[in-house]
Amino acid sequence: MAYKPQFGPGTSTVAENRRRVMDPTKKLEKVRDISDEDIVLIMGHRAPGAAYPTMHPPLTEQQEPDCPIRKLVTPLEGAKHGDRIRYIQFADSMYNGPCQPYLRSYIASYRYRGVDPGTLSGRQIVECRERDLEKLAKELVATEIFDPARTGIRGATVHGHSLRLSEDGMMFDMLQRCILDKKAGVVKYVKNQIGEPLDKEVKVGKPMDEKWLKQHSTIFHSLVGVPFRSDQEYIEYVQRVHALRTKYGFMPTE
Amino acid sequence: MTDAIYPQVRIVTERLMNPETVERVMNLIIGTGGVRRVILNGPRLPPTVPYGPAKGLPNPTEYRKKIKIGDQDVQLEVHVGNIVLELENRDFIPAIREACEKGITKFSWYLQEGRFMKTAPSLVDYAKYGPDADRDIIGLTEPGKSGLVILQGTK
Repeated sequence: MAYKPQFGPGTSTVAENRRRVMDPTKKLEKVRDISDEDIVLIMGHRAPGAAYPTMHPPLTEQQEPDCPIRKLVTPLEGAKHGDRIRYIQFADSMYNGPCQPYLRSYIASYRYRGVDPGTLSGRQIVECRERDLEKLAKELVATEIFDPARTGIRGATVHGHSLRLSEDGMMFDMLQRCILDKKAGVVKYVKNQIGEPLDKEVKVGKPMDEKWLKQHSTIFHSLVGVPFRSDQEYIEYVQRVHALRTKYGFMPTE
Repeated sequence: MTDAIYPQVRIVTERLMNPETVERVMNLIIGTGGVRRVILNGPRLPPTVPYGPAKGLPNPTEYRKKIKIGDQDVQLEVHVGNIVLELENRDFIPAIREACEKGITKFSWYLQEGRFMKTAPSLVDYAKYGPDADRDIIGLTEPGKSGLVILQGTK
């Protein structure tokens, strides 16, 4: 019988959302438009329109060793051209953020080729060849796993995941890279992800309302969202994993 | 540091407060006349980018502002989330509560009684500031940063 991944346990909306966004057969719901130029500006790795700097000659111009694996694996566009490896990093609020760091790494691993995702306590980084990264980043920002107020694109000084929100509902950002334009109700980036001021403001759309955030949240929260203890199946699963891991060295049977 | 004989309260808000809200609520709190010391606490907002490739660049944010408490200008260096107060006596607590009700209207908050200020220098204080550090300042502010502000005319 062919293996069918289950992606995760749970009966709550949070568990359902986690399974949906991890499953590569399901398309992520698009909720906003962002241009290629805007993504390049926010990431700040190169000037928009500039050529991609390279770190090795294109694969067609260099001698490849006779390797069966290289014949099997089709290189990414970026790898073909010898692009640099660059990154995008996200911080997600635990106040009903539509995504969260561990899930982001699962999403990147299930959905994209040639990426190196890494989760730290309150942030998640994806590394990839530059031109492929831009495509990937655009999808991550334009779809349901991003919210302008509860998700931040932050290369350095990422603190904010577990902090209270500010009065206008934005996640704390020491560098205040994005601000809420109160008249238009739109969030705009005024600094790139490492905190350098941008020449042009980049609009990333309106913050989603509380109802939408609660429906699309992928993080349990006992005060503002779905409490973890309300999902019995999830608790049983986590307790089982914990018990098996604890017992394993002693007696690797249930 | 503080003498343990004075009562202390802490006001914790649901959201981190804008400078305007802090100014409004602090002026109402100071107006009660029973406050000995105040600590405004929250995540720090540095004047320059502290690390990363942009280290050293100016860091303009709308939350790092000068506010006016009483007649005194106070430079906010944090995004205020907690207000810790040391009071003359417990009789002022209802007035402080009333001040918060008037000052913080957009979101919820709570007021706790307890001990929130340092009463003895820690080992870290000793290592940082040495044996001759000003004991009045320890625990209230970071010596070497902008220091504390003394509000005039409240007595």
